[in-house]
Amino acid sequence: MTAKKGISLALLVAGVAALWLVPSMGVSDSLLNLLILMFIYTMLASSWNILGGYTGQVNLGHAAFFGLGTLVARILYTGGRPLFLALLAACVVPVAFSMLIGIPAFRLRLRGDYFTIGTLALSQILYITIGNVLPKITYLPIADIQNYQLGPRYHIILASALFTIGVAYALVKSRLGLGMVAVRENEDAAESLGINAFAHKLLALAVSAFLGGLTGGAYAYYQTSYYFNYTFSPPWSLEPVTMTFIGGVGTIHGPVIGAVFFVLLKEWLVMKVGEYHLIIFGVLFLLVVLFLPGGLVEAWERIRRVFTHRPAGKIVLSPSAEGSDLSGNSLASERKEVPMI
Amino acid sequence: MPTTVAQSLVSGILVGALYGLAAVGLSLVFGVTKILNVAHGELLMLGGYASFWLFTLLGVDPFGGIPLSMFALVLIGLIMYQLFFSRLIKLPTEDKIRNSLLIGFGLGLILQNIALRLWTADNRGITTAYAGATFTVLGVRLPYVRVASLVIAFVFLLALQLFLRRTYIGKAIRATAQDWEAATLMGINVHGIYRLSFVLGAALAGAAGTLVAVGYSVEPVMGMHWTLKSLIVLVMGGIGSIAGTLVGGLILGVTESAAAIWISNYRHVIGLAIFILVLLIRPQGLFGAKEG
Amino acid sequence: MLELEGVYAGYKDLRVLWGISLRVGEGELVALVGPNGAGKTTTLRIISGLLKPTAGSVRFYGCSLDREPPHRIVEMGISQVPEGGRIFTGMSVEENLELGAFTARARREKEQRMKWVYQLFPRLEERKNQRAGTLSGGERQMLAIGRALMAQPRLLLLDEPSFGLAPILVEQMFEMIQEINQQDVAVLLVEQNVRAALELAQRAYVIENGRIVGEGSGDALLSFESVRSAYLG
Ligand SMILES: Nc1ncnc2c1ncn2[C@@H]1O[C@H](COP(=O)(O)OP(=O)(O)OP(=O)(O)O)[C@@H](O)[C@H]1O
Ligand SMILES: [Mg+2]
Repeated sequence: MTAKKGISLALLVAGVAALWLVPSMGVSDSLLNLLILMFIYTMLASSWNILGGYTGQVNLGHAAFFGLGTLVARILYTGGRPLFLALLAACVVPVAFSMLIGIPAFRLRLRGDYFTIGTLALSQILYITIGNVLPKITYLPIADIQNYQLGPRYHIILASALFTIGVAYALVKSRLGLGMVAVRENEDAAESLGINAFAHKLLALAVSAFLGGLTGGAYAYYQTSYYFNYTFSPPWSLEPVTMTFIGGVGTIHGPVIGAVFFVLLKEWLVMKVGEYHLIIFGVLFLLVVLFLPGGLVEAWERIRRVFTHRPAGKIVLSPSAEGSDLSGNSLASERKEVPMI
Repeated sequence: MPTTVAQSLVSGILVGALYGLAAVGLSLVFGVTKILNVAHGELLMLGGYASFWLFTLLGVDPFGGIPLSMFALVLIGLIMYQLFFSRLIKLPTEDKIRNSLLIGFGLGLILQNIALRLWTADNRGITTAYAGATFTVLGVRLPYVRVASLVIAFVFLLALQLFLRRTYIGKAIRATAQDWEAATLMGINVHGIYRLSFVLGAALAGAAGTLVAVGYSVEPVMGMHWTLKSLIVLVMGGIGSIAGTLVGGLILGVTESAAAIWISNYRHVIGLAIFILVLLIRPQGLFGAKEG
Repeated sequence: MLELEGVYAGYKDLRVLWGISLRVGEGELVALVGPNGAGKTTTLRIISGLLKPTAGSVRFYGCSLDREPPHRIVEMGISQVPEGGRIFTGMSVEENLELGAFTARARREKEQRMKWVYQLFPRLEERKNQRAGTLSGGERQMLAIGRALMAQPRLLLLDEPSFGLAPILVEQMFEMIQEINQQDVAVLLVEQNVRAALELAQRAYVIENGRIVGEGSGDALLSFESVRSAYLG
């Protein structure tokens, strides 16, 4: 067992090292750009997954965190502040903003759907407001554009992505992460075990906003020009959800796989069918939600099991996957399993 | 100045009735099936395009064509329900709502992009012979089309109210919304009722979409906008109350118009801000009783 | 008319019924008694189709109910008064009764039926336009039973109809059940009030931990030692 773990770890380190060295291998800029997109989308999906996947609070307005990150980072950076400061602020501001809805919504113990449509509304407010206040295109500083270098950007964004995954991993493997999952599975049962549901949900939201903001900061540092409100637009809320579900919601590697898959498929589809890729992606998303709630990760597990003839340890993401009684709704809801804490 | 105020009040009422009609379908579906269909705005959009093309290609008058666009939406709603939402119907309520949000989200994305591909991103209006005609009351200009739309919206809401109060099927729908299990024990086929409610909601979206197309305009990206308007009204009016939905719609319309006098760029933000406030302060709606 | 044979059933991975067999004859009044959590409600849910057995069979007039959805079972002549009544509190008393007659068969004779129900429970007629949510506990039970009768059942399943009623009302309730039974409606009665139920019933079953552990005429069970010590104190 430990030997196997050691091998996995070695492979991981080797993979990261290889990724780190890619720019010095004299590869084309388009490959670097593709990899950068993968990193950014990985961050986007992973940051969404912390709240959506591990506490079950579906956020349909992740663009708000991402957008705020880009806005803050861009303004500070083009204003001549150091990059590090710009990125840090890009993380902090979305956290403060997230508390605006998180504290009241979770304190009142509003049902999950209220939180969901609340996030949808908040992101729209920002989208419209930013469009009104800053109806312009933002450019990187002239000096940056004239001397635009992909290499350093690649490394900073890769580091941010690794940081994001690392934080997600550490959080999920900690007691806090277990508590979050308990809250997702059954809030009342979790509370009766002494888990503070409010604090756990709020923490997950804060971390999700923090990393979503970092994603935005990375994007702002990377893109030469875009409309200020573009990064608040609905696709930035849609994509993290679809990527996470397609990859595997509620797992660490799911969002990574989903993001890589998304970027590659998009690249390929755009060549083949142009703008139709969004339709294809939407259909894929629906199929996953309905028929493969564990996403590609679950699909892979199933395939592997067929080959290794392991007994099926079922992945149950939402207790809903289980049958209920003939005509309906609520039988299963009263008895959900709670992981041991 | 007073005329300006009166004018914007009136246009607020005119658009508010459409908000009410748009929301009532969403409210009906949610109240009965506990499916929160965030692709409701896209259904509205499809209704708008249905009447636009009926008018442009076949010369069908948009008002006369309302039954046709409703019928189109009945079919689309039926397909949507059978293929997707019916698979969620047996889940426990919490999971059902969550998954329906995801499904609706995905469907909205798909429908919006299909519309973009088929009909381009252009903003289109229906230009009938009477499109620009107005009449004036006490210095307030009233476009005929929008006033007619208001009347039609009221008629639809009243008809729905009567249907739910007076007919056997309507009562079965209300019973199912209150307690589906007890409803089953009455011999009511609750799955049939779920399907019927969803399709009815879609048909209402079709009617609302037509009125939006004829009084304003349609474009593929309008779905999200109308879903949000419907959700705002839903939250203000409380679920399952038709009167509440209408009042919620009117309040939203008037507030937006009033706000637009001073801060015209933010008219849609005002509604959303009210929405968040109501959500946090009175989650059961301004007029609604507590659920259950 | 009703036969359960070797019925196993449960919720998710929790098995509740372990091979229940029982029968109810035409026009009979049968009681089903047992401690809390024994599986009485679950048994009724099986009969009315809200829950499907994992093994065993349920037959009504010889027809298998295994594949029938609950609304069809109502149509076939079985009505259940669920635990707590579950009336539609947002609707008027009369609307509740109307909904009881939802099936095509019952709808035809709705008016006469309603007259009969109002005769049985004059209270309901006095309050017919009132919102059902404003009724007292006893009136709610009456409404729930009246509503079930509207469907013209051949077999009425009653789940603790006396629950929460004052002693004097309990007595009335049992008289009412007897009266209904005399109208040629078979009754399967689940009761906490074991003595009264056994006195009323022609036959009775005792259920414990999802198994039938005793069966006999009401009187016989009343004098049965273990039943006496367990339920009658
Ligand atoms: N919806 C459900 N989901 C899971 N378990 C259930 C459900 N309903 C009942 N049970 C379990 O099944 C067992 C039998 O329950 P049932 O309601 O049939 O008992 P009962 O004999 O009617 O008890 P009581 O006299 O308290 O009404 C109990 O252990 C109960 O916890
Ligand atoms: Mg019981």
